[in-house]
Amino acid sequence: MPDLGSLGEVTSADVLVIGGGIAGLSAAITVKERKPALDVLVVEKATAGWAGKAGRGGGILAFLTPDDTPDDFVRYHVHHIGCFLEDQELLLEYARTCNQVLDTLDAWGAKVARDARGNWKYVKTPGTDVPWGLAGVDLDMCQRLRKRAVGMGCRFMNKTALVDLLKDGEAVTGAIGFDVRDGGCRLVLAGVTILATGSQNYRVMPMWSCGRGDGIAAAYRAGACMRNAEFGSFVNMVHAASREVIFGAEDHMFNAAGEDISARYRPGLQPDICAMSAVGWYREHLAGKGPVRVKSDENLLQIGSEVLFSTDLVWDRPAAIAFWSRLWEKAREVEKGEEMPEVIPGFIGEQSPVMVDHRMATTLPGLFAVGDVSYSGAAWTGAVPSPPGRIRGSGLMNAVWSARRGALAAVEYLEDRDRLPEVDHALAADLKKRIYAPASRERGISALQVVREIQAALTPVRYSNWKSEERMREALGLVLEAREKLSSLKAEDPHDLARCNEAESMALCAEMFYRASLLRKESRGWFIREDYPERDDAAWLKWIILREEGGEMTLRTEDVPVERYPFRP
Amino acid sequence: MNRIELDMDNCEGCRRCVRACFVNVLQWDRTAGKPRVAHPEDCVHCNLCELACPGSHIKVTPDFSSLDWTVL
Repeated sequence: MPDLGSLGEVTSADVLVIGGGIAGLSAAITVKERKPALDVLVVEKATAGWAGKAGRGGGILAFLTPDDTPDDFVRYHVHHIGCFLEDQELLLEYARTCNQVLDTLDAWGAKVARDARGNWKYVKTPGTDVPWGLAGVDLDMCQRLRKRAVGMGCRFMNKTALVDLLKDGEAVTGAIGFDVRDGGCRLVLAGVTILATGSQNYRVMPMWSCGRGDGIAAAYRAGACMRNAEFGSFVNMVHAASREVIFGAEDHMFNAAGEDISARYRPGLQPDICAMSAVGWYREHLAGKGPVRVKSDENLLQIGSEVLFSTDLVWDRPAAIAFWSRLWEKAREVEKGEEMPEVIPGFIGEQSPVMVDHRMATTLPGLFAVGDVSYSGAAWTGAVPSPPGRIRGSGLMNAVWSARRGALAAVEYLEDRDRLPEVDHALAADLKKRIYAPASRERGISALQVVREIQAALTPVRYSNWKSEERMREALGLVLEAREKLSSLKAEDPHDLARCNEAESMALCAEMFYRASLLRKESRGWFIREDYPERDDAAWLKWIILREEGGEMTLRTEDVPVERYPFRP
Repeated sequence: MNRIELDMDNCEGCRRCVRACFVNVLQWDRTAGKPRVAHPEDCVHCNLCELACPGSHIKVTPDFSSLDWTVL
């Protein structure tokens, strides 16, 4: 067999963690805690500890307060969040054990806010009576976790984009990619691989643009199953001028005629934004009643011009306050302090379909997926996109919770293996050829052009959130047109090569989204269709499973085993 | 496009800004021993480089007008 070293620089590890955000770091630390002798390598496209969404997200942990019970949480979730599409067995396990995440983060050095008595300092989502509370953790948590991981002996490889998975037969035995600075090919051979690469955000919203779907695409190309791909159309309402999120805007929206459209499309206070906020916004514009504005003085998530969670009135979080203050200070220069600012939907996507079982094992041996990459694919979350899904603060919780489960299962997998990992050399050579193709062309089109075309098929509300057969076919057509152009991409340098591979991941994820969405002929949770406006429990208590077979994207359905669950429609 | 200005005269070369940049806009220039703005077109104005710089030698000026996705 030819030497793998002929393809690039080869590194080995017992455990390969792809992604250096909160989930990846949590998985790496957990493996070391369980079995310190294992060699753990974290590979990150940017810099581990600074990468991922957690360092820029809300820093909020949704947990069960002493007044909340797991049964209440599951009941509420099933009826109001995931709409019976949950794996209720896993959801109940989550509800029973998720509070351990706060102790874990605290033990690892992250700063989870406490009250004067030393208990977790929490608030309830203002105006609601949901069976959970929100605790706060400071935004430097990943840097603290990285320090912990370094201290435990984890190794790190930064500035390296791993974009495809290596295999030995059906088993995943590592990954291949390149250094984004010098373009050198990197191969990592591993006994077990943990994917922690985040969700797909299609790089539309600037601050949330870290998830570009590389891990989803890599798993798909390697033959892994995807589940709940149709729920990846998350939107938040953003300021029309700065395009920064106005938290809580969805509850205080008024059309140009001064009518309360939040009351029309989103009755009652809800725990977080829902798809109908964007749909309502769109329908008002269609009726000639735009623009839509927000009454800031009624917004329960804001105090004056300050966002509740970014002040020290709730939690003392120095890093978070510095971050948010700087962001909004600049945004306000263009927002001009309007009393009723105009809002528009900001598409964030949050597609997270890598299918995993209760141990966070994907359908491929040797591959586990944790954090946002498998949030919807794990299915405990039901009919929602990844965080916030419909529960603000569930993202960090799920990231650490799933990482710990996945890491422990990965160690078990490794213990059962009786031989060193091998790699199909021919496959590795083919993957390298695919990955580097844009760098080998003398001329071609830019990745950013194709990305813009994919975005244009997703960001219009009429395509991705107010869905119909006709409009989704139109949008899918745009995605497939963009996909055709992938074979003409030209990378100018290694950084651009990463963008080309990201464009490919985005095209793939967008195709998954529309193909799965076209199949689901109903409305449920985050998923809204104009032509099938009702929830159809008789026909659609089903998960849509998607995978590549013979070069084609195939779809099938699997019944949600609701008969064995405590809550049924 | 966002504007990223580095005060190279006063930069001490601590690399914190390069570590903080999660989109690899800032890269390390080995020859100069200083950071450089390699890919400003990918800047998402998270401002973490500004916040990471101990001497406040970085200034990011967002170009909000470049955010123009289609919604209708």
